[in-house]
Amino acid sequence: MPDTQWPRFEVFQQDRAGRPYQNVGSVHAPDAEMALQNARDVFVRRPRCHGLWVVPAESIVTSGLQATPVEGPGRRDGAGAEEYCVFGKTSQRRSMSYVSELGRVTAANPRMALAEGQQKFADETVYAWWVFPVTAVVSSRTEDVESMFAPAEDKDYRMPQQYRVFSEMMALRQDEEDRD
Amino acid sequence: MAVFSEAQRAALQAWLLAVADDELVLAHRNSEWTGHAPILEEDIAFANIAQDELGHATLWYGALEALGVDGADRLVFFRPAADFRNAQVVELPKGDWAFTMLRQYLFDVFEAARCERLIDSDYQPLADIAAKIRREEIYHRRHTSAWVRRLGLGTDESQRRLQAALEQLWPYQAQLFRPISNENVLVEAGIVPAAAALQASWTEIVTAELTEAGLTLPSETRAGGAPPRSAHSEHLEVLLADLQLVARSDPEAAW
Repeated sequence: MPDTQWPRFEVFQQDRAGRPYQNVGSVHAPDAEMALQNARDVFVRRPRCHGLWVVPAESIVTSGLQATPVEGPGRRDGAGAEEYCVFGKTSQRRSMSYVSELGRVTAANPRMALAEGQQKFADETVYAWWVFPVTAVVSSRTEDVESMFAPAEDKDYRMPQQYRVFSEMMALRQDEEDRD
Repeated sequence: MAVFSEAQRAALQAWLLAVADDELVLAHRNSEWTGHAPILEEDIAFANIAQDELGHATLWYGALEALGVDGADRLVFFRPAADFRNAQVVELPKGDWAFTMLRQYLFDVFEAARCERLIDSDYQPLADIAAKIRREEIYHRRHTSAWVRRLGLGTDESQRRLQAALEQLWPYQAQLFRPISNENVLVEAGIVPAAAALQASWTEIVTAELTEAGLTLPSETRAGGAPPRSAHSEHLEVLLADLQLVARSDPEAAW
């Protein structure tokens, strides 16, 4: 069966200015502009957000622990040395995000950027690596914060606690527990 | 300024009811896509837009309640169709995706234009609501105009469907710019912008963007002009039967 899905974009969220970007999941979209909008609606309708990135999944090089195979593009046609974002999964604990931003490196191709990153951030315990060129990132703009992310902060009516039926159910449950 | 003349109070109540009803009915039509949108991501995005419009309706009904009218729950769940004051365009069935996107887009441009002026209202509660809504409308417009461009410039089929939607929706737009009730007493007092004053900027924006999306603007207007907001199509009755079913099945229940 042919794949009728639109291309996949990985989504990275920054919850406050200056904090590292973190991968929160992926969306399908026909292009980057729609991917950014879908990412906003799927991932940050409620949580705090200051910046959002989408990156085409096909431009990301990934690797697990050393000696696991590297997946993703080996080279970028027509691109010389350029800047790459390096992300790593630094904890095995359950988490809402997968990899988070470690920093940047400059390299001639994605594989070399990965090797460069593994060396540069050797002090960290990293369970998985993601590397992609900075130019692959489509980012929300500072002026988008007010229309895309700020309204979520005062939407208390989206919370179940705002509805009487919720507090009544909680009270009923409490009654039952007290009787047991 | 919160001391209104009798005429102003009556006009403001009529104005708020019309504005709130537009948002409520549109929100309900949009919510009919929940679980049925073309892809999962858009399902979430559009349910979010529907919920935003419902949130806006809640704000307007709240302003109405502050003027001593029934609360939102009574107005929404227990009012007969004949007492609704929404424009007819928002009650039309949801149609296909092109129709839904285009209707929402045209309404977003309208609502954004109204908010731009309403933030300067001399009646502070209205200015506050407009400021709140405006942020979300910027985002709605970005989303719906992106869809309109892609459908208009996409395939032959998407272009044909969008053009058909435009032919159907266009004649209904004029009703949005028809003065609501006795609105001139509010316009004179700097409380609301005149509906007709929004038409020029709305027309300019949608003409440019729709043309850019490869659409041909219809020239047809409605025979007999825009009807008053008390006039409804048969579709509103059906919509309300669905919307009010649960509340009316047990009117005394507390939610």
